[in-house]
Amino acid sequence: MAEQPPDLEGVTHRLHPLTPVAYAGRVIGLVLAFVILGHLDTSNSSGQASGTSAGQATLVTVSILGALTVITLLRGTVALMTTQYGLEAGEFRIDSGLLQRQSKRVRLDRLQSVDVIQPLTARVLGLAELRLSTAGTERASLRVRYIAYGHAQALRAELLGRSAGIGPGVAEAPEHPLITIQPGSLLAAVLLELVSWRVLLLLAGPALAVAAANASSGPHPAATGVGIGLFVYGLFIVAHFIWRRVTTLWDFTVAESPDGLRIRRGLLATSAQTVPFDRIQALYLHQPMLFRPFGWALVRMNVAGYVGREVSEQTVLLPVAPRAFAEWLVSRVVGVDVAQVAVTRPPRRARFRAPLWWRAEGTGSDEGIFVTRHGVFSRSIEAVPHQRTQSVHMTAGPWSRALGLASVHLDSTRGPVKIRARFRDAHEARRILDLQAERARQARRRASAPAPLPNGAPLPDGTALSTVADGGAGGTGPTP
Amino acid sequence: MRRAVLLVLGIPFVGAAAALLYNWSAVACDVAIGVGFLALLSGWVIIGRNWHSWGYAERADDLLVTHGAMFKKLVVVPYGRMQLVDVEAGPVERLFGVVKVKLHTAAATTDARVLGLVPEDAVALRDRLRALGEARAAGL
Repeated sequence: MAEQPPDLEGVTHRLHPLTPVAYAGRVIGLVLAFVILGHLDTSNSSGQASGTSAGQATLVTVSILGALTVITLLRGTVALMTTQYGLEAGEFRIDSGLLQRQSKRVRLDRLQSVDVIQPLTARVLGLAELRLSTAGTERASLRVRYIAYGHAQALRAELLGRSAGIGPGVAEAPEHPLITIQPGSLLAAVLLELVSWRVLLLLAGPALAVAAANASSGPHPAATGVGIGLFVYGLFIVAHFIWRRVTTLWDFTVAESPDGLRIRRGLLATSAQTVPFDRIQALYLHQPMLFRPFGWALVRMNVAGYVGREVSEQTVLLPVAPRAFAEWLVSRVVGVDVAQVAVTRPPRRARFRAPLWWRAEGTGSDEGIFVTRHGVFSRSIEAVPHQRTQSVHMTAGPWSRALGLASVHLDSTRGPVKIRARFRDAHEARRILDLQAERARQARRRASAPAPLPNGAPLPDGTALSTVADGGAGGTGPTP
Repeated sequence: MRRAVLLVLGIPFVGAAAALLYNWSAVACDVAIGVGFLALLSGWVIIGRNWHSWGYAERADDLLVTHGAMFKKLVVVPYGRMQLVDVEAGPVERLFGVVKVKLHTAAATTDARVLGLVPEDAVALRDRLRALGEARAAGL
């Protein structure tokens, strides 16, 4: 499976020769689909009068697709020819670009997660994309595409090993599977999760509106048409969502390895994410309304650097599992038993601000983590370790202030988890704010003490990844 | 600054509304002027309260920023968590010769801004914050 640990130090590597094909994979799929469809089409309508115009249309499509194929193939070829990567003094480096050369670096001690991703074509060809996430902005993930799958795995082990300070030359860490989600459960979970007020409104809204319009002033063919159109559109959105969820979360497996948590998933395109435990910034355990009769829960997480198009799937730590297991997993990640943290309700007068749901709100903390919970129908519990809080803030609107209430928010990195202790007594909120600031400070001090940076000089986080356009930037430029 | 903007935009607006209504009825015109004047006055007061609400404090390990008269907000940003500190000025701010200092952490929800500073103060604040941030920098 995995190759020998790659020799990386100082050696520059290149991409796999089949890279252009993998780049063009999606377009090639389209071309094949069109050719097959076109073939069926022409065999049906055997050279009628419409033959010429249909032929022209086919010609246009074929030429557009052909151009796209050539462009993507060219892009892939350029990437193949110009990209080099390697390790240099504790940094992973990748140089690329034809006209505008750029050199991206990731300091390994700032690495947030390492994902091995295989789109369908790459999978067929035995290739994979290696994606390194660092904290920072949108550009923060660094992608090596495409390299041989075995090589990607070996590289991942090497990078994670070095990142954790184990040292070079580590073989792939053994992993210990924790759970695999069966297809049936996944499908059920995706469908049940969908049943929420928002989706019901999306589907039932047009129907109700049309019914109301027809009832009040006779039949309206046009309005009915629009209503049906909206309904079909809503259905399409929902179907697309289900398809996307099921295919990306298919065969979801969570495993534990010394590197961290490893999440494998995917039906057509597969992905294996590895997130070190201490890179998970915050977690939440959520029970959508219809999960509760089954005693199920799902877990999502904030990981710095998970931003962009696939974020709603990347941040899933567990799509569905028995609640006890989900609680165990959350506790395993934060290192504290979440269920043991005592949670208190807001004061009773909060019912004037949040009539029904004030009872469901709760906040608690101990030496290690801060916990909030909320939700009457759908319930959730959020947990964040003190050393992961970024900043703390407190808000109070006019109505809350009249009642002497305030909310405390713990700011985490971008992601699905929002930690809010809402509707607290204003004085208590201020105490929580000060306490959390103090605890976070102590936790940071403890955490940062035994981890000296390899290069001596400490750098602020933002410098974890720097993009340097070539142009004689003091020896950092790539050497083609 | 906002008061000036309010007056510059508000008085012509009230005047125009009154002039339009004058053709229709003189009473409506008077009412419009009265309402407009009251709105401007309350705007003046609200802006004053809002202006008074802005504040920041540099503590040993974190920066405290507070603002909002109606919707109050208090932000605690540890120096060790700051990723970058910006000094910015929009077009209207430039007109009045003030700038704002903005703090960024790895969290997108951190909303820590110090508004209406004199440029020299802002630069000094930024440099102090940057020095403190470097001294206390913590990993993620």
